[in-house]
Amino acid sequence: MITVSNLSKSYNGVEVLKLENLDIPKGQSFGLVGNNGAGKTTFFSLLLDLIQPSSGHIKNKEVLVHESEDWKPFTSSFIDESFLIGYLTAEEYFYFIGELRNQNKSDVDNLLAQFEDFFHDEIIGKKKYLRDLSKGNQKKVGIVAALIGNPEVIILDEPFANLDPTTQIRLKQILKDLAKKQGVTILVSSHDLMHVTDVCERIVVLEKGELVKDLATSEATLKELEMHFTN
Amino acid sequence: MIKRFIDLEWKQFKRASYFQKGLAIKILLILGALYFGGIAIMLGGGMFFIFKKILPDIDPVITINNFLVYWILFELMIRYFMQQLPVMNIKPLMLIPIKRNTVIHYLLGKTTLSFFNFISLFIFLPFSIVLMAQGYPPVNVIFWFVSLMSITMSLNFINFLINKSNSVFYVMASLLIVFVGLEFYNIFKISEPLGIVFNALYNNPVFVIIPILIMVGMYYANFKFIRKGFYLDDTVSKKIKEVNATDLSWMNRFGSLAPFLKNDVKMIWRNARPKQVMLMSFFFLFYGLVFYTQEIYMEMPAVLAFASIFITGGFLLSFGQLVPSWDSEYYKMLMSQNIPYRKYLESKWYLMVVAVTFSFILSTPYLYFGWKIYAMITAGALFNIGLNTFITLFGGALNRVPIELNVKAKAFSNTNGFNPTQLLIALPKMVLPMILFYIPYKLFNFNAGLIVLALSGVLGIVFKSFFLNKIEGIYQKGKYKTIAAFSEKN
Repeated sequence: MITVSNLSKSYNGVEVLKLENLDIPKGQSFGLVGNNGAGKTTFFSLLLDLIQPSSGHIKNKEVLVHESEDWKPFTSSFIDESFLIGYLTAEEYFYFIGELRNQNKSDVDNLLAQFEDFFHDEIIGKKKYLRDLSKGNQKKVGIVAALIGNPEVIILDEPFANLDPTTQIRLKQILKDLAKKQGVTILVSSHDLMHVTDVCERIVVLEKGELVKDLATSEATLKELEMHFTN
Repeated sequence: MIKRFIDLEWKQFKRASYFQKGLAIKILLILGALYFGGIAIMLGGGMFFIFKKILPDIDPVITINNFLVYWILFELMIRYFMQQLPVMNIKPLMLIPIKRNTVIHYLLGKTTLSFFNFISLFIFLPFSIVLMAQGYPPVNVIFWFVSLMSITMSLNFINFLINKSNSVFYVMASLLIVFVGLEFYNIFKISEPLGIVFNALYNNPVFVIIPILIMVGMYYANFKFIRKGFYLDDTVSKKIKEVNATDLSWMNRFGSLAPFLKNDVKMIWRNARPKQVMLMSFFFLFYGLVFYTQEIYMEMPAVLAFASIFITGGFLLSFGQLVPSWDSEYYKMLMSQNIPYRKYLESKWYLMVVAVTFSFILSTPYLYFGWKIYAMITAGALFNIGLNTFITLFGGALNRVPIELNVKAKAFSNTNGFNPTQLLIALPKMVLPMILFYIPYKLFNFNAGLIVLALSGVLGIVFKSFFLNKIEGIYQKGKYKTIAAFSEKN
């Protein structure tokens, strides 16, 4: 689904990301871990064509990301709060995203109904603008909005951060359910090794912009990751 | 302690983002400040003689006193829209061992240095000096001046209380409209009884005590108000407004543009900054009054063409020049969503077209100045729709200054649209219509000028797709730079 070749990004001559080859097959749930500055967000930003690669390219379903916009209809993402429109209510925001992704109101309502638990009665019908919600609740809105319109590729940058424990557990379930669905590719980055090993079939460790580990998740993965980050 | 505060304040001022601009901008800003200050002083100094000339039978002091109430209401309106509440900076001070009272006194004291307080000072100080030079009794003049300054300070404090409540604002605004209307149609002149009050202030210096007491009272009211709300979840925090969701589904008839248009309407309606711009653009409607009433300009039709552009172009010029900055807070999302750039730009175009059309309808009273003037406004509106919209969108592609939507622009820090590229882009918006009008006017006649100006607009509408395609290309090219600039916090 996603093919990375000779990708690099540098700012003022300092290389912050260098990925020679990375292939993420369709339907995989892919986890990205690494310390601050490892290049996780840079990678996702490149994937979304928010920044320009210094060299190399990314192909999303055979579409060259930095040349064509044709990847947009089947790709959705939530990177940070700047993906939210602060002066809308949660519902208005969902419907807006729905309209952009050719979903009518009832399609969106149906989808939202599945996330009633996840919202924990703090999102829908609250008559509050998104800018006035807490960080955690903003995140819930952003994550669910990224699921509108049956995307084939879903990119979530640190979805577990800022969420309360209950919501983290529910989010894990949501992501696992998605992964089971045929053909949905999920890319998740996280600082929480436990969550990420729980959710993802494959985990890639970045360090100073380079790929240092590429693991298929198994019983031993968490231990291995913990060992890696201890040193 | 106060010294520390002042030190902090100085750093904030020195390191503010708008101060980090180029030297040229700084000089322009200083010139601007001098210009407005100069105008105020000239006005204050000249007011006496102007009124003496217009109304030779009435003592200018009495005239001024009669109209003072409108000045006060006007000042209050301007303050409401422009003056920022200083309470926002309390937060970091809450945890530090300083007495609350000290902090509050300091904050309130700080507001006395606001730019808005100086407008009154600059107008009425020279006026008072002229009065004394003209042989008016100094005691009366000085105490009258002190009264006026106390009123200004009272306004300064009242404004903060009004800012906390929308209803107070609407009451004030409707009062202003009603009384201006009544006055205009000679039904009831509110300025008369209030004029008597202000004249009494002048005639009996003892009364100065009243405005001073009001000022002190207002200071105290503010003090109590902030004191009471000195908690994180109160005055200090930004107020969380209950949503007033309006049904905009009727806009769905705009098809694929509807989501964007609906969003833009909400954006304007729910955020402080765009609201402010809306108000400013409303004032542009009155531009014609300045030009059409002056004999000299009547012989300079190019200048009239310029004024006509302004009348219908208020929103276009002030809102349009900040496209795409209006969406800077969530630009990344827009760029990664399933959105064709073209649709985004087209919706902004429609928004401007609607605004110009609306202003054009509102400008009907200019018929009073004759068909010639009105035809000119019409031609100007066409030019605005057909060409100025595209020039504005094109200019926006070069504008990469992020905007904080829900924060009012401060007077003189509103340099967002104020950079050399922006100035360069603003030139053709005003000079081009003048040229388009002036050349055929010189070669043939007035009507030829009008026709060319109007036709240029029509041509622009005909070639809309072409222009939008070109502009889209420019936006696409600048995409990464724009995203990077918008994600920088200032």
